[in-house]
Amino acid sequence: MAAPTTMGIPRDGQGGGRKPSFFGRSETGAAYILLLPMLALFACAVIYPLIDTILLSFTDMRGMAAGKWIGARNYLTLFRDPNFLTALSTTIVWTLVVTALSVGIGWGLAIVCSLAPRATLVFRVMFFAAYGVAETVSGFIWLGIFRPGTSGLLNAVFAGIGLGDWTTAWLGNVSTALWCLMAAYAWTQVGLPLMTCFASIQTIPKTLFEAAYIDGARSTSIMRYIVLPLSMPGLRVAIFINLLNALRAFDMIFVLTGGGPVRSTETIGYFMFRESMLQFKLGYGAAATVVLLLAVVVISIPAIIKRTAEAT
Amino acid sequence: MNNRGTIWIPVLVGALAVLWIIPLVGLLLTSLRPPGDITQGWWRLDNFSLTLDAWRSVWTKYPLAGAFWTSFKLTVLSTLGTMLLAPAAAYAFQFLRFPGRRLILIVIVNAFVLPQQVVIIPLFTLWRDTGLIDSLWSCVIPFVGMSFAWSVFLVKNFLEDFPKELIEAAKVDGCTPLGTFWYVVLPNALTPIAAVGILQFLWCWNSMLLPMLYLRTEVPLTVLLARVAGSFEPNLDQQSVAAIITMAVPLAIFITFQRYFTAGASSRTGGKE
Repeated sequence: MAAPTTMGIPRDGQGGGRKPSFFGRSETGAAYILLLPMLALFACAVIYPLIDTILLSFTDMRGMAAGKWIGARNYLTLFRDPNFLTALSTTIVWTLVVTALSVGIGWGLAIVCSLAPRATLVFRVMFFAAYGVAETVSGFIWLGIFRPGTSGLLNAVFAGIGLGDWTTAWLGNVSTALWCLMAAYAWTQVGLPLMTCFASIQTIPKTLFEAAYIDGARSTSIMRYIVLPLSMPGLRVAIFINLLNALRAFDMIFVLTGGGPVRSTETIGYFMFRESMLQFKLGYGAAATVVLLLAVVVISIPAIIKRTAEAT
Repeated sequence: MNNRGTIWIPVLVGALAVLWIIPLVGLLLTSLRPPGDITQGWWRLDNFSLTLDAWRSVWTKYPLAGAFWTSFKLTVLSTLGTMLLAPAAAYAFQFLRFPGRRLILIVIVNAFVLPQQVVIIPLFTLWRDTGLIDSLWSCVIPFVGMSFAWSVFLVKNFLEDFPKELIEAAKVDGCTPLGTFWYVVLPNALTPIAAVGILQFLWCWNSMLLPMLYLRTEVPLTVLLARVAGSFEPNLDQQSVAAIITMAVPLAIFITFQRYFTAGASSRTGGKE
């Protein structure tokens, strides 16, 4: 919408010869003056890094030394590197489980909350609050919950309910660390699906429910045929955002496990950090980043199409 | 769905919500209880006592005040940059015609898909070569630059409903395109600009990865906390104070303006709801 056709008033010769007061009246000139600072920053912070990451991924740059072009060798190495293959499968599990958990819980809560919108207002904000806490802080908090020994809350709870055998060093154990990390990350992410789905359900006109009641629909069928389909817009947005957030996650992994134990909680987003910033294999890290980028872009294709149509 | 006297819903949701914020309650209690009690667990109610010792001693233990000031500077600069430049760009895209308009717009609004991992290596080498490492600008520039992907989109969406009659009237009265932006559009677009500012403030304050990589001597709160959390020192009470100070400002803003975040999240990573 908002086609600029209404702007089709002739541009020149209508100011009555009055002197332009503010930088002249050329639209093109004005546009570039307004855009220039933004474009400069955008080019520096987005375009240049994007191109440079792709170019670097074809070099063997390490540390300070300038790399030389080695073609696709980094990519060939990546897909033979057991650490990368682990990171790849960890990324898939992490992204799917975190999204399913957070969106599932958030959506369920949204439906329950919509049965009593006013009474649950404060509680919804409580769920949403975790989304506004820095991931670093959330990581610090969950570190305390998963702490080994009895000073960790989770262990204390298990000991308290007579499951003392279950206590363990949650984050130091290869079989539990990833699951703990996913639970902690999902905790931060539930608020968003709750809010978007709730907003969608609230847009359902009350008359629809009344009509359904009059026609004798049971609450299960109201749920299935009215609430579920009509909460889809919010659900779709939430799934997409949470998928993207999970794919790019870094801070919480860094604080909680640092990718360990034995690199079992490393996603690609973390793998590239370790290879490039800790082991200074910049070219190799860039190749891993390009793989992450491709995954993100593929997931985003529908959103890109939609956004392009909306913006232009 | 009308209120049919269903008392069990608020009770159930409330119980879950309390369970949900137990981690935050634990953080607060850890900061307020004597270290001896914390080693037993902050949840123990036997010999329950509170103290502000950690809140007093933490300032000498960690450079918290300096980190707070760094967080503040970093966030305010990045937020102002976005609040100034995004509306100007959004106005140009919405109301002016110029060569390359469509292409530039498509590239910018779709940059939201880029993970921040993409900028790490190129900007690291760039800042290293230009000597910007350890300067606040090494983080402000990417924070502002990356924000345009969603901020321009958000303001432009708002401007789509802006009354075009106002703009044409200004034009007929001899107002130049820049004048129209400054005198007509800007004063009437304060709502989306405020929304952009709030969102950007929170995201910049909470970010950790880029400041951790590009800043050395003066680090913001998040980086300080990440270092502290990895130190395995036993002073959990003081560490908790540091965590609370890190999250307090953004959390207050977040709860006050939470409805912006539902809408903002979609413009950051997807279409309108």
